Amino acid sequence: MEKVLTDFVKALRNSNVRVSPAETLDAMSVIDEVGYDDRDLLKRSLSIVLPKTPDEKQKFDTCFDDFFSDEIKEQVPVTLKELNDIEDVKSDLAKTLLEGSQAELMISIADAAEASEIREIRYFTQRSVFSRRILEKMGVGKLEDELMQIGSLREEDIPTDLEQELRNQLTGLRERVSDYVQQQFLLHGDVSGEQLREQVFKSMNMSQIDRSYMHEVHSLVRRMAKKLANLHSRRKKNYRRGKLDIRKTIRENWANQGVLFNLSWSYKKVDRPKIYVICDVSGSVGAYARFMLMFLFSLTEVVSKLRAFVFSSNLGEVTDEFKDSNLDAAIETALQKHGGGSTDYGQALTDFVSLCIDEIDKKTTVVILGDARNNFGPEKAHLMKIINERSKQVFWLNPEGKYRWDSGDSVMTTYSAYCTKVFQCGNIEQLERVISTLLKTAI
Amino acid sequence: MSDGPKKIINKITKGFAKHGYICSDQISTAVYLASELEKPILIEGPPGVGKTELANTAAMYFKKELIRLQCYEGLDESKALYEWRYGKQLLYTQILKEQMQEVLEGAKGLRESLGRLMKFEDIFFSEDFLETRPLLQALTSDKGSVLLIDEVDKSDEEFEALLLEILSEFQISIPELGVRVAKVKPLVMLTSNNSREIGDALKRRCLHLYIPFPDAKLERQIVQARVPEISESMQIQLVNFVQGIRELDLKKQPAISETIDWAKTLILLNSEELEAKLAEETLNILLKHQQDIEVVKKEIPALISSATETSDGKSIN
Repeated sequence: MEKVLTDFVKALRNSNVRVSPAETLDAMSVIDEVGYDDRDLLKRSLSIVLPKTPDEKQKFDTCFDDFFSDEIKEQVPVTLKELNDIEDVKSDLAKTLLEGSQAELMISIADAAEASEIREIRYFTQRSVFSRRILEKMGVGKLEDELMQIGSLREEDIPTDLEQELRNQLTGLRERVSDYVQQQFLLHGDVSGEQLREQVFKSMNMSQIDRSYMHEVHSLVRRMAKKLANLHSRRKKNYRRGKLDIRKTIRENWANQGVLFNLSWSYKKVDRPKIYVICDVSGSVGAYARFMLMFLFSLTEVVSKLRAFVFSSNLGEVTDEFKDSNLDAAIETALQKHGGGSTDYGQALTDFVSLCIDEIDKKTTVVILGDARNNFGPEKAHLMKIINERSKQVFWLNPEGKYRWDSGDSVMTTYSAYCTKVFQCGNIEQLERVISTLLKTAI
Repeated sequence: MSDGPKKIINKITKGFAKHGYICSDQISTAVYLASELEKPILIEGPPGVGKTELANTAAMYFKKELIRLQCYEGLDESKALYEWRYGKQLLYTQILKEQMQEVLEGAKGLRESLGRLMKFEDIFFSEDFLETRPLLQALTSDKGSVLLIDEVDKSDEEFEALLLEILSEFQISIPELGVRVAKVKPLVMLTSNNSREIGDALKRRCLHLYIPFPDAKLERQIVQARVPEISESMQIQLVNFVQGIRELDLKKQPAISETIDWAKTLILLNSEELEAKLAEETLNILLKHQQDIEVVKKEIPALISSATETSDGKSIN
């Protein structure tokens, strides 16, 4: 019976419910308690042990219903009484269908499935292909030929009993095989298709991803940003003020005959990165703008001390809009207010410097998202120099491939001279790497 | 095997009902499994669906002491686990100094003094100076207890890590004294409002129960149990009305506790039927945001008509 559970756990993992081995063991002891007899009770009990978020509970429900659906359908019993014609049947499959037991048939399905490498099934679109392969391996072709022959031999229009029976059996077999494939798909396939999508999204150029997938990409980016921010935002420093840590103090002064000489403080300061992000949303980065804004939005969600600015030519702050509204609204407002115009980095830098140069200190990281295509306008690189000098570090993320930098009106080299580091950031994988570096060093 | 699991689960449901807590099968199954497998339960769900109340009732049902630990940001081991009685410890060192003379009196040479000193009982770090806090209390309790760790999502991540040892092994390591293992394993319940994602390590060690808003049938039972003096037609209308509100897009959905408060209010105002005017005036009991009240106000006539309609339909059946 343990195989049933481990198979079910496998199916759960395939539908993106995370189940650890320890939880599988828990599930086993739960089954020891409640047994397999009562389906409802089993479902309720397992739903307490295996899925651990409301979202996972939902997936668990569907997966459970699919997996423990009322077993595979029984093959239609043979109704033909006198099997005197059976000698006439030539193909093996027909013989098994008419004479063989349920178990024999099941085994031959499983064998055929094994031979057609059912383990390789990944996507739900492959189900019909695998069903057909299994049927072929079982010799459905021969059976069909034989049926044709029998049909052509008969004199009347009404099919003989044998023919009718064989046809019924064949339909039954087809259903059984397709059920079998469905079950195997639950076990081996990527049921929700999420893994595939994420894989594709990650390596796809951001400007190529269709807008309709934006939400999925967003959840991907957000998860990433959250993970990274959690990882890097917990550095602590001991401070020389705040509450006295009595336990530690006594511990340390025990040697001084209990005279409290060296004091320890319990207050610890959590360092969080202070980040200023400037995002280009002008026409030249039109295709990327949405994704850059999405990235920006995700960052504002996870990093508390972050200020976000967008510009085409004139620069504006969007921190509050991003913090208060949802993704779609935030991106729309940002694009409406500032987007689509012709780029002027010089003007944007001027605005940025006049707006908040005083706040930039040695703890601040400045991130610029843009293609550095300046329409041959004044570069005002000296402003970059000021920003660079005042801040801890300046990062530039360019969505264009490196080979296009400095081509045409791009002035990447001029600006990159004043950047701590320059990244190419065209797809989500690259983005992940960038965020990691960013958060590691921004503290 | 005296009773099948189903029987015990039914017994729990009934026992809880006796204490005024109406629970779904899912909840009683979770309580059953937690007590059988001796595993902690992590209870999640929107505010006001009775997460804390579940622990209270469980304590009453199992006739065990309820030990409650309210979590908040900055909660640390000295408030949750144990603390040394520093004042007394310092006094002890003073006494020790005076006693030292007596102990060492007549000792010849350094070696002998040292030998005497070694024999001298040292109780600086001992049970005598240990102040137990809720978590340690739950472990040392002789009769077993129900330990409620309330709103664990409000605490820091460090605290979560602190809980891991207790939740999986039912033991606490006190560096100065060694490991303290539970005499009787307590039934541990953790609640969370999901203001922060709980770590995987913690989740893995717990059973997980999600309590959603109840469906109409269950909510009616709950109102009946909590506000028995309410008339049946009123109760049906009220619950339907609240269920209708939950379908609207609101900042904060009314929870069961709010439904109960509202039912009590309506009883207090001696109303027999749910009327639009009355509903509008008492809406602030059900909803806690002005914006939500504005939204619902517009919908009141529709909500009431559908609430009374379905109740009529029910009474015919």
